[in-house]
Amino acid sequence: MPLINMPEFSGRLLDDFAARGAMRIDTPVIQPAAPFLDMAGEDLRRRIFLTESETGESLCLRPEFTIPVCLRHIESATGTPRRYSYLGEVFRQRREGDNEFYQAGIEDLGETATALADARAINDAVEIVENLLPGRRLAVTVGDQAVFEAVVRSLGLPGGWQKRLIQSFGDTAHLKQLLLALASPQPVTGLSPEIEALVRQDEADLIAHIDRTMQETGYSTNASRSPREIARRLKDKLALAETKLDGAALLLLSEFLSLEMPLSEAPAALAGFADAAGLSFGAALAHFEERATALADLGLDLSKITYRAAFGRPLDYYTGLVFEVSLGLDPAVLVGGGRFDRLLTLLGARENIPAVGFSIWLDRIEQARAR
Amino acid sequence: MTITIALPSKGRMKDDSAAVFERAGLPIVGVGNERSYRGRVEGADDIEIAFLSASEIARELNNGSVDFGVTGEDLIREGLADPDRSVEIVARLGFGHADVVVAVPEIWLDVDSMADLGDVAADFRSRHGRRLQIATKYWRLTQQHFSSQHGIQLYRIVESLGATEGAPAAGQADIIVDITSTGSTLKANNLKILSDGVILKSQACLLRARKAEHDGNPLLAPVVKRIVEAVQKAV
Repeated sequence: MPLINMPEFSGRLLDDFAARGAMRIDTPVIQPAAPFLDMAGEDLRRRIFLTESETGESLCLRPEFTIPVCLRHIESATGTPRRYSYLGEVFRQRREGDNEFYQAGIEDLGETATALADARAINDAVEIVENLLPGRRLAVTVGDQAVFEAVVRSLGLPGGWQKRLIQSFGDTAHLKQLLLALASPQPVTGLSPEIEALVRQDEADLIAHIDRTMQETGYSTNASRSPREIARRLKDKLALAETKLDGAALLLLSEFLSLEMPLSEAPAALAGFADAAGLSFGAALAHFEERATALADLGLDLSKITYRAAFGRPLDYYTGLVFEVSLGLDPAVLVGGGRFDRLLTLLGARENIPAVGFSIWLDRIEQARAR
Repeated sequence: MTITIALPSKGRMKDDSAAVFERAGLPIVGVGNERSYRGRVEGADDIEIAFLSASEIARELNNGSVDFGVTGEDLIREGLADPDRSVEIVARLGFGHADVVVAVPEIWLDVDSMADLGDVAADFRSRHGRRLQIATKYWRLTQQHFSSQHGIQLYRIVESLGATEGAPAAGQADIIVDITSTGSTLKANNLKILSDGVILKSQACLLRARKAEHDGNPLLAPVVKRIVEAVQKAV
């Protein structure tokens, strides 16, 4: 279906954004491709429309709004906190559905009261969708990267293992593989006796050995990983290989990942889970509770929101809340949102800017309205 | 009505393909001079031979402009969006062996597996201000191996159309994904293959474009069947 016009409810949507103090910004349809591929990974490459400028710069048709909005914010060097809204076309290669469709959303940049900002993002998304789909039953699911990180940290695993688990949060298949590996660690093989000996000795000798080899083989030592980095990680890796997660801790992790319940019960359940295991989830749990309270204060019924412990997105800029809104049992996601405190610095912002936002799939809203 | 078979137009692949068809009782003769890009099968007027470059063969099979083709499985899996739907592997021909592999600098003593690489990739941005860079011309296979199979998302592909194995030493990329048959080029460039870094064990294959008329057309179906059976018996 060619897009002749914006969705007929666009005007209402823009009013809804304005009423929430979000300033509308527009970004060019043609964007440099590098930031998207850098942030979201190469997997995105086959899902976007790539082209090249005459001078060889890699360009793409805007596949989403969050990155362009953040880049624009950094460029314009306006202060925070700031709420932006957007409504426009995005372009993605999809096997099903149109390749160009409308998205709209709010990005909340620099609000330091993060629990409140989280709650506001969920509440805004729900209210806006309710306005567009009056009388329809919405399903809201939330997850929290920070809670998972707290669970992993409290288990007392070495740093390398913590990182691996945290990295793969949200990618259930990969996470399962990691847990299996943790249950039965593999010894490190393939090191020459010379290196084995060096590793057990002074780190400086190992670094010097790596440096010398690099120079002899013509590697420029400053272009990629440095001798120090390689030596350090080799030592870490040998330590990691000897780590075995005991059965109880493994069970605890899988048990945590299978938790799913109404949000109204989640704070108590998480606290109970921590107590029973003799662990402390500290600030992450406090923040989780604070957010739940803020949501209730905004008038949302927490018993109708689902908390799923394994729900996350395996990209390194998501840091806390993730949420989705869909229609009843229909799997199509109408709104996707979350907290991405790490994105702005990754994109080049000088200071840390906490950020939370959501994006509405207007094509799916339109279909839902037509049904 | 004829059936077109696309064969590699030069080098060992051309000679090895000709040998397979010879053994299958389908001897190939050139049309016109030695350098001609057309050929035929002796005694079979319903089969035409087109000599094309190996990567073109993958493309022509995909859009159905040839019926059969001999090319490397790597080019099929890399070049076609949905290879199993558009082509069928009739026979693996036993030559043109090449593995598509992930190779890292030998001096990365701490990296022996994809899991190690995942750790390195995860930290790369914070240490070096950029993502881990992979030089390759196999971006589709790389993505499948890294993203789908090993859950590694955070890397960048640097397209490399030749001398890929030199990219890490030259500072153009950190690691490579490339083909190797003996591993000697990798070794000469101080690269090592990861223990679980073999993405695809490729060899030359006879492929059939999945076209409805291969079954449905009474004139073509017997020719298709004859080629398939003859080659399968010959390997």
